[in-house]
Amino acid sequence: MDFQDRFFRSLFLGASALSALVTVAVLCFMVLLCLPVLKLDFIRHVLTAPWSPGQGQFGILPMMAGTICIAFLSLVISFPISLGCSFFIEILKPKGKGNLLKKLVQFMTAIPTVIYGFVGVFLLVPFIREIFAYGSGMCILSASLMLGLLISPTLILFFSQSFSRVPQSYLNAVDALGGTTWQKLYHVILPHAWKGMLTGIVLAFGRAMGDTLIALMISGNAVVMPSSLLDSARTLTAHIALIFAADFDSMEFKILFISGIVLYMMTSLGILFTRGLDRKGPA
Amino acid sequence: MKTNIQIRMENLWFYYHDRVILEDIHAEIEKNAITAISGPSGQGKSTFLMILNRLWENIDGAKVKGKVEIDFGKGFEDVYHESYPVHQLRRRVGMVFQTPNPLPMSIYKNIAFPLTLMGEKNQATLSHRVETALKKAFLWDEVKDRLLENAETLSGGQQQRLCIARALVPEPDILLLDEPTSSLDEASIRVIEALLLELKKSCTIILVSHYMDQIGRIADHRLVLSERKLRPAPDKARDIQNRIEK
Amino acid sequence: MTKSFPDRLLSLFSWICAMFLISSVSIILGFLILKGYKAVNLELIFSDVRPLDALLLRQRVFGGLLPAMTGTVFLIVLSMALAVPLGLASGIFLSEYASSKIKWIFSLTFDILSGIPSIVVGLFGFSITVFLHHYFNERIFPCLLISALSLSFLVLPYIIRTTQISLESLPLSLRLTAPALGATKRQNIFFVLLPSSLSGIISGIVLAMGRCAEDTAVIMLTGAVATAGIPKSIFSGFEALPFYIYYMAAEYSHPSELRKAYGAALLLLIICSALFIFSYWIKNTLKTKHFTGHNSL
Repeated sequence: MDFQDRFFRSLFLGASALSALVTVAVLCFMVLLCLPVLKLDFIRHVLTAPWSPGQGQFGILPMMAGTICIAFLSLVISFPISLGCSFFIEILKPKGKGNLLKKLVQFMTAIPTVIYGFVGVFLLVPFIREIFAYGSGMCILSASLMLGLLISPTLILFFSQSFSRVPQSYLNAVDALGGTTWQKLYHVILPHAWKGMLTGIVLAFGRAMGDTLIALMISGNAVVMPSSLLDSARTLTAHIALIFAADFDSMEFKILFISGIVLYMMTSLGILFTRGLDRKGPA
Repeated sequence: MKTNIQIRMENLWFYYHDRVILEDIHAEIEKNAITAISGPSGQGKSTFLMILNRLWENIDGAKVKGKVEIDFGKGFEDVYHESYPVHQLRRRVGMVFQTPNPLPMSIYKNIAFPLTLMGEKNQATLSHRVETALKKAFLWDEVKDRLLENAETLSGGQQQRLCIARALVPEPDILLLDEPTSSLDEASIRVIEALLLELKKSCTIILVSHYMDQIGRIADHRLVLSERKLRPAPDKARDIQNRIEK
Repeated sequence: MTKSFPDRLLSLFSWICAMFLISSVSIILGFLILKGYKAVNLELIFSDVRPLDALLLRQRVFGGLLPAMTGTVFLIVLSMALAVPLGLASGIFLSEYASSKIKWIFSLTFDILSGIPSIVVGLFGFSITVFLHHYFNERIFPCLLISALSLSFLVLPYIIRTTQISLESLPLSLRLTAPALGATKRQNIFFVLLPSSLSGIISGIVLAMGRCAEDTAVIMLTGAVATAGIPKSIFSGFEALPFYIYYMAAEYSHPSELRKAYGAALLLLIICSALFIFSYWIKNTLKTKHFTGHNSL
């Protein structure tokens, strides 16, 4: 019996170690494959130069800028709406409708991203093109709008969860003192919930940066430094999806992995940051 | 007074996350008797029971220091010795919790569960021992026609007797009961008290209870746990109890 | 009593936001349904081949979505077969065996894994293929197996997390029941804890299936192609619904192809919604009743 117990313990431990190994292996493999070019000079070149493989310039700066731009803008669009929706769900709660909205938001997480991209191509892009009468309509704004919709469930669910965790006794105390809903929100709920909300924002930003399909399908994919909302741009994820160098030793191929490493690092930093917020260190 | 000691605890300390819950406990528990433990709530009465079957080991942050010896008929054994198999101990020291805790399965499977754990597969043996246990717990007549129903469909009192029956299946020498009647109605309480008086012929019973009247009705020995210490119940309380009974 | 001005503003703001979100989602779904419902029929899936013939592989389907749908189904089944055992075992370890320090480290790695963009996971799968192709066997190319393997990495943290949370949320009284009857840790896990948390775990697995069905970024790097027919083996290229939708949105050459793309998008939406609703149903109806937790120290 004791032998069996120890056997299962080792089995489960082995499984966890293997799963953890995957996380490390993803990074190590990418580093390994572009190791030959990983020199300080070259990294500086890659992080600052423009992209023009014909002229021997392999900078991913435009893509990094595109990624940050689109992700940030989608957050700017999504944040106020998500905030309002989570007020609706957790604070106003108009006769069961709050729960209904919450169900809808949960359902949104099940909508495939390719669907957002698809509807973006055939509905949003023509719409933007008509309204602004500029370019193809495949631009930073279109991508950010769709991406904003994509990340709103993450924001809303984190926000409303943080609101609901404020102890009821505090809320009762404000109510008993005759406080208004606004005062309750301002003096009790927000000071209590901001950490959870920030976690949601960081994770949603990570999702926006990591999404491929929406940017790939509706941001136009032009490799230029973004200068206007109606300009086309390319994200790092779309760059990986687009450049399909078959040549194992080509520089384009190695740049894919550098792009991958940059994305990996940025999302991991986000996770580490939320961990720091949580402050649940090893006991 | 106590002639036939079965459990001996010496210099026993219990910690929960560096907080002292029990302090320097010394106790002797008599065989085939009902020992009642009372005291203010939240002072570690449940913990005291869990020390005897080492169930606290399944709770994060709990720690025990000291000596517990139990005589299972072969002289006193140190049940905290490294080589002492904890699963054997728990089959010899049964436990019933405050809230009835039938597992989400049929009545029959609940009772047969301890046997399943021991690897018993013979259907005849299983059904025989299920019947015996249910009869011992005064439950057989009420459930014999519905053995395959989910145990959670039983009433609270029936569930608690089911849990007692289940604890009796491994034929334990000692039975620990943690406020077994606190969530039950008066009629169920009487049935269970009668049951305990019957069981003490074959078992040593340690009962946590905060009903003084219940303790007065069925306990042979009384201990009080308060301020981290376990003491014999003050004689004055017993005098008053005796006077009331007279 | 009339509401104060800030309260009314807050209320107005919330209503506007809620309405905006609801109408955005409605527009997306409505657009898709309106454009796609006419295309969703047997012809969309089987083209002009008789359904029975197609399913029994008597006749190959060229124009229809059958190859893409079978590809997606194969992907789901294969990646679940890889991810579920590993995820369950890891979740059990985290919840039942790991010390708090080990738990902290492991869950950090799993959080990072779940944060890695799916295209990077796809790139990982792709690079493994290239690596194997160059150093081991020239015949190794991106294929169904590599895609399924990469997808399983993608959903692994979900499965670990739902398993861990389902187990950890079991009340202490239930956890102690079997040990008090002499159960070993292994018996407690397999006889009591796992069966009791099954509804949560299964609903998590169904959600993970949805992730496998919808993900496009991973498979576009690891073996999904525009035309492959029904996959013949796990070492061949394959079609998949989401990739088909992506591909058609960019490359359609004829209105009839576009109509099929709408149909495919609606079909994928229906599949993912069905999985979502199924998972929701499992969680809410199969929930075993737990006793209210007691056992204070």
